[in-house]
Amino acid sequence: MSVLGLRSVGHAYLGRTVLDGIELTVGRGEIVALVGPSGCGKSTLAHIAAGLIQPRAGRVETAYGRHAMIFQDPCLLPWATATDNIAYVLRLSHISRKERARRVAEVADRVALEAEDLNKYPVELSGGMKQRVAIARALAVRPDFVIFDEPFTALDVALRRRMQDLVIDTCAARQVSGLFITHDLSEAARIADRIAVLDVRGRGILGDRPLPHAPGTRDEAAVFDWVQTALREDPLFRHIHDVDERLIA
Amino acid sequence: MLQFVWSSWAGLAALCLLAAVWQAGYEAYGSFILTSPLDTLREIGLLAADPDAWTVALTTLQRALTGFVLVALAGTVLGVAAGYSPATLRITRPLVTVLLGVPPIAWIVLAMIWFGGSDATVRTVILVAALPVVFVGAAQGIVTRDRGLDRMAQSFGAGPVRRFLTVGLRQMTTTLFPALTLALGTAFKVAVMAELLANAGGIGGALADARINLDIAQALAWVVISVTLLIIVEYALVQPVKGEVERWRRAERPWGIKR
Repeated sequence: MSVLGLRSVGHAYLGRTVLDGIELTVGRGEIVALVGPSGCGKSTLAHIAAGLIQPRAGRVETAYGRHAMIFQDPCLLPWATATDNIAYVLRLSHISRKERARRVAEVADRVALEAEDLNKYPVELSGGMKQRVAIARALAVRPDFVIFDEPFTALDVALRRRMQDLVIDTCAARQVSGLFITHDLSEAARIADRIAVLDVRGRGILGDRPLPHAPGTRDEAAVFDWVQTALREDPLFRHIHDVDERLIA
Repeated sequence: MLQFVWSSWAGLAALCLLAAVWQAGYEAYGSFILTSPLDTLREIGLLAADPDAWTVALTTLQRALTGFVLVALAGTVLGVAAGYSPATLRITRPLVTVLLGVPPIAWIVLAMIWFGGSDATVRTVILVAALPVVFVGAAQGIVTRDRGLDRMAQSFGAGPVRRFLTVGLRQMTTTLFPALTLALGTAFKVAVMAELLANAGGIGGALADARINLDIAQALAWVVISVTLLIIVEYALVQPVKGEVERWRRAERPWGIKR
């Protein structure tokens, strides 16, 4: 049973087609990673899935209760403390002050933000802490579907792994489905149940590959082997590292 | 608060420096050209004891403030509208240049013909003189806002109005507040000038009288009074609001760290 379905979705910016004939479904409790080289329209697809952009063609079918989005940039309000940033999205959903405080405490605990950090402004937080707040903010609305738009690209390797583990644990614990956009195949292989590959020029989904075992139960060596084998032998992943700078406008 | 009190030492030092230069000028040219700072203070003391002088000062204060509120409201509303509509902004940019190019004195003449020597004359001139600054400040704030924050708010279900109220307005303050400070200063300067030229009473009228009587001490006293009024309004009205809105900027520069 699918909670998100993209049906022959297409989009164009100023007459230049960036996406065409995209067919993608995400099942309940499933994390699908969408990989593809830079500039192939992954982010646009994420924005379409989140309803931030109206696609020029096709339609988006959703069967989930509420979604949340985590962006590449943490997108925190600079004038609000970490607490207020998390509470901001709860205020948007008209949740009472008492309930807001309760939920902020709950999600802060989940992403290991301490009381001291919660009273800090974003300028006082490190990159990793900011992204933690962004994750907490997404979790605060209790989504059953999360769209990740290359959330950990700006973080260093060690931090990125911790954030990935955080996502894996949270999604598994709450049966959250998700669409994870990334250009990093090993990140996709750690987090996702299934990896879909977007065409270099955004002309459809080339195909997808399921991953063995549930995310979080795979050991590192197996993930590494899977990625190496996929890159070496699977024609689907042949163009994943192709980049044409001229296409990235 | 402590930070505020402490930083006022710098302001006091600057004022004392100014008074010293003033005193030097007095000693070089004599009291007929430039009255000494102390004599001017004495003159201010005399004026402070005179209820009529209070009425004069309050008239100017009232005109400058109402003019400022008018220009702040009109400029912000127009600026926000233009900020969200690129076509409007493109059309109004040249108009702003034209408005800035017309000397305030020309507006004073027009306003005198239209309204005579009344409050409306002074307010009109303030409005026209300070509108471009506030307009550009507000429009710039909206245009240069972080679209990522808008997208974030939208992805969490905020409609256009909510986005403007919670994200757009707040970001606009970065460029709006400097513009408002400038507009407040303009409001006082233009008010006094318009009063003087339109013979509309207030501090400007008192300055005109002082000129006729060649009373340098009184003229300087009125100048000091109008500057003092501006400073009082700025630190009682604009700075507290600014301090509250931009508290997060202070978090970036912790107290005690020199830049």
